[in-house]
Amino acid sequence: MDFFGNLITGLSVACEPYNLLFCFLGVFIGTLIGVLPGLGPSATLSILLPVTFGMPATTAIIMLSGIAYGAQYGGSTTSILVNIPGETGSVITCLDGYQMARQGRAGPALGIAAFGSFIAGTVGIIVLQILAPPLVNVALKFGAPEYFSLMILGLIILTFLAEKSMLKALMMAGMGTFFGTVGLDSISGVARFTFDIPDFFDGLGIVPMVMGLFGIAEIFLNLEKTIKTEISDGKIGNLLPTLKDWVDSKWALVRGTVIGFVLGLLPGAGAVLSTFVSYAVEKMVSKNPQKFGHGAIEGVAAPESANNAAASAGFVPMLTLGIPVIPTYAILLGALMLHGITPGPMLMKQHPDLFWGVIASMYVGNVMLLVLNLPLIGLWVRVLRVPYPILFPLILLFCLIGAYAINKSTVDVAIMLFCGVLGYLMRKFEYEPAPFIMAFVLSPMLETSLRRSLAFSNGKFMIFFTHPISLGCLILASLLLVTAALPGIREKFVGEA
Amino acid sequence: MEVDRVSGLFCLIFGVICMYASTQLSLGSFREPGPGFFPFIAGCFFSLLALLIVISSFIPEKDRENKVSSLWKGVNWRRPLTAGLLLLCYILMLERMGFLLTSLIVLFLMLRWVEKFSWGKALLISASASACTYLLFQTLLKANLPIGILGI
Repeated sequence: MDFFGNLITGLSVACEPYNLLFCFLGVFIGTLIGVLPGLGPSATLSILLPVTFGMPATTAIIMLSGIAYGAQYGGSTTSILVNIPGETGSVITCLDGYQMARQGRAGPALGIAAFGSFIAGTVGIIVLQILAPPLVNVALKFGAPEYFSLMILGLIILTFLAEKSMLKALMMAGMGTFFGTVGLDSISGVARFTFDIPDFFDGLGIVPMVMGLFGIAEIFLNLEKTIKTEISDGKIGNLLPTLKDWVDSKWALVRGTVIGFVLGLLPGAGAVLSTFVSYAVEKMVSKNPQKFGHGAIEGVAAPESANNAAASAGFVPMLTLGIPVIPTYAILLGALMLHGITPGPMLMKQHPDLFWGVIASMYVGNVMLLVLNLPLIGLWVRVLRVPYPILFPLILLFCLIGAYAINKSTVDVAIMLFCGVLGYLMRKFEYEPAPFIMAFVLSPMLETSLRRSLAFSNGKFMIFFTHPISLGCLILASLLLVTAALPGIREKFVGEA
Repeated sequence: MEVDRVSGLFCLIFGVICMYASTQLSLGSFREPGPGFFPFIAGCFFSLLALLIVISSFIPEKDRENKVSSLWKGVNWRRPLTAGLLLLCYILMLERMGFLLTSLIVLFLMLRWVEKFSWGKALLISASASACTYLLFQTLLKANLPIGILGI
């Protein structure tokens, strides 16, 4: 009864015309920015955040969530047609998607990406809906030590799955944690590393940092080389994958969904890593792995379902624990708080209409995305025909406006530029920005839970080992560290993507 | 110098500075951690890892060109540098000259210097881009972009 009862509560909220309209706007804008390289969902959310102030909280969150998961859809279109991932979660889709397009099979590639995204996204929401209530009950038992150990586990997993050196990824996480402490100390009120700049008192902004590390850095890297936008000219005729395509990719879809959902639950892992892992797994289980990279439809189906399942899964820790798994969700949490709603385990009890309304709107949004995307592919292709030399100054301009508009401060713009240079150098020296930004996002929560735990236990670190959930997380984390230290195992797991 | 040694050393120095700065904030005790406690731990953690990276850079790797100069070999580093400097100018000018004028000038120079557009084309693109974004964000979305000497 509960499942359907909640679904009906949710749908009745989501299907109010006003909410439907903003759900549509959200997924439409999400797809558009997913298509445009450089301008990510975090930046878009923060640009549009002030626009939602006049709306009811539920409508605002419905629209902003739509942008967050809609971006995963749009990203695949550019990967397949132009070989430029619109979104970091679609990098892997380039490998086989673009090859398919060059072989004149752009239609089925786009089709399987859209259907795969739809199926995985929808399955993800169903699991989210089933998982959320029991998880909320578990979450209510979470104290400071549990939060701390869970976040440590998330960060260790993120660095374990890092593409390159785990040592470097761990160091990035440490550095991100440090940057997260800038600002007024939440307990003593002491200003830390603020250099007397008032803008730093609230901490460095997530949005300018994300835009810098990912958007601006990407532009700098692209400027080094002359980009030729080669849009696959093969006619995009039939978008429906053939029966053979379906047979080939059905297990890839299932595995992608499962992998995406599980990894999407962990703080830090999110959509990007799930695509790498699911692609590696497909290659491992395939009977003829040599066709990967040459237009294998499984190579599109797996990562595309993984990133959408992960996008749904990310809502689980966000709505139940109040832990953002990726920076985009950190901004969504910020939006909730701006609307006077405290995220966390009590959200479901105190605001059931918002909680279930947002979840139900995701079903609706996924259908909209499917219906919207298939006929609009032609339009997205035209957007992409804008040459990069014209496109990149525009993207820069959007980033500048986005960074400025949040606090109306040039300091934020300066942070963005600084992080852009930092991100560019990181990429050059083979450091990954993802562990850095995730640790940065989690840093304040990590610190508070560490200090609370220590205060509670009278300064004894044993508290992390006497609480069973916390102990479990720490054991898992140390197992991963030990595994990583043994040669060969980690490479086997991540090195093949 | 080897790539990893340079980056590792840089991070190590930065880490030591962070640790020192944290000690200035009062570390407190385990029972009652002070404001410097957590940043100090973070600083220790990444300095230690940076040290490991520096050490491991002395283990020779075969078949890999890993001198710092190789990172910028064969790429056009002038373009990102120009774009970065122009962005810096943008930040410095923004609140003095206003959004519209600053965007127009910086975009124009970006198109001219980084992408080598002709005068006319660069002017056309930068003017229409600044005007459209101004209309969208300032007029439509009321984003309160900075108003400069021109009063717009």
